[in-house]
Amino acid sequence: MNSIDANIVIWLNALSGNVKLFDDLIRVVASDYLMPMVFSLAMFGLWFSGKNPAERVRYQLTMLVGISALSISNVVVWLFNIIWDRPRPFVEHGDQLNLLFYPPTDPSFPANPVAVGFATATAAWTINRKFGWWMFAAAAVYGCSRLYAGVFYPSDIIGGAIVGVAVYGFTSYLRRFLEPLITGFVRLIRGLSAA
Amino acid sequence: MNTDPDVVWELFAGHYFMFAFLASLGVLQVAVSNVGTRGLWLTPHAGMTRWLGIAFVLTGIAVFFLQPLWVDGPWAAGSVEADSLTRSWGKASWSELAGARNVNDIHGGLDGIKQAMWFSLGAIAAFAVSAVVGTLSVNIFASAENSGDGDQTDSEANGLAGLESRSYIENLPGSFANFRADIGGVWRSGLVKADRWSLMNVLFGRGGSSE
Repeated sequence: MNSIDANIVIWLNALSGNVKLFDDLIRVVASDYLMPMVFSLAMFGLWFSGKNPAERVRYQLTMLVGISALSISNVVVWLFNIIWDRPRPFVEHGDQLNLLFYPPTDPSFPANPVAVGFATATAAWTINRKFGWWMFAAAAVYGCSRLYAGVFYPSDIIGGAIVGVAVYGFTSYLRRFLEPLITGFVRLIRGLSAA
Repeated sequence: MNTDPDVVWELFAGHYFMFAFLASLGVLQVAVSNVGTRGLWLTPHAGMTRWLGIAFVLTGIAVFFLQPLWVDGPWAAGSVEADSLTRSWGKASWSELAGARNVNDIHGGLDGIKQAMWFSLGAIAAFAVSAVVGTLSVNIFASAENSGDGDQTDSEANGLAGLESRSYIENLPGSFANFRADIGGVWRSGLVKADRWSLMNVLFGRGGSSE
């Protein structure tokens, strides 16, 4: 399993260095700022996108669950990191990789940015299938860019995706334990004319 | 890193806030123009507001990623490598621009929590600007809009629904009054409908269930 993982990241990373423009694009996509901003903006935009009061409330409650899932995924990834301190690909195969991104110091499994992206995408998917698929694609591209850059193994990406989707499901379930506090919070924001 | 991480962090925080503000403002304008929430439009026309929104998003992204070309930071030409440890202070070159922002958070980049904080502030600022400009826009162009459509104001609507026909300032008192009038009922009926394991039910009991 480990050798398949390593072979894929080494093969994919070996494609770098040929087309500078493509490598530069990967550097921007893989950055800590572009895709997380896309995920945050998706949540923010959907908050205002309901076409009638009932749809608006549904969107907004889902967005709150999505934002909570995003935070909880970070905690779940951190717990995984405590259990398994998996070294990054550039640590184990540094001589065979052309690192395109700064070397992160946290463990490799599961991919934190992918978990966050998939948690957000799942939230978007539950209220708008088409938009949700686009978000899943964005999260997958984000993961693949980090793979290409040599900072994650494929299994880290798959693990991150599973964590993101599972945490969203768990957070949706968790919501019932906090009702009617969450609905009351949305009503408060509506009282401030922002929901 | 040849620079104090705190100095880098301050620089990144300011740039990221501007990025979040512009991009949030853009997305907000696209969203509210699609659903007709006129009280938050920056212009009186839906199409123009939507295009303005797209322009804001693109401007936010472009400014954030191009800024290293004209602003000094930990991306001096010739020093940008994948590892952000050995960067020098200065302006970036075109050839190294793509990697300029890839600075580890231990070297002054923004971690997830700081990004969440600055994004929230940027989004709130974007909403506030939309509310203020939308109020001016609605008041200035109200007579022109009403003369064609008739008065379609729904006095019962509040929150974002109320902003479809009113400015933020006009909508706020009614929305808040509705919130104060409704919240007790929302809370009681919510407790009745809530799961038996709801934390609120455990804490406050099924106070409204007798009805």
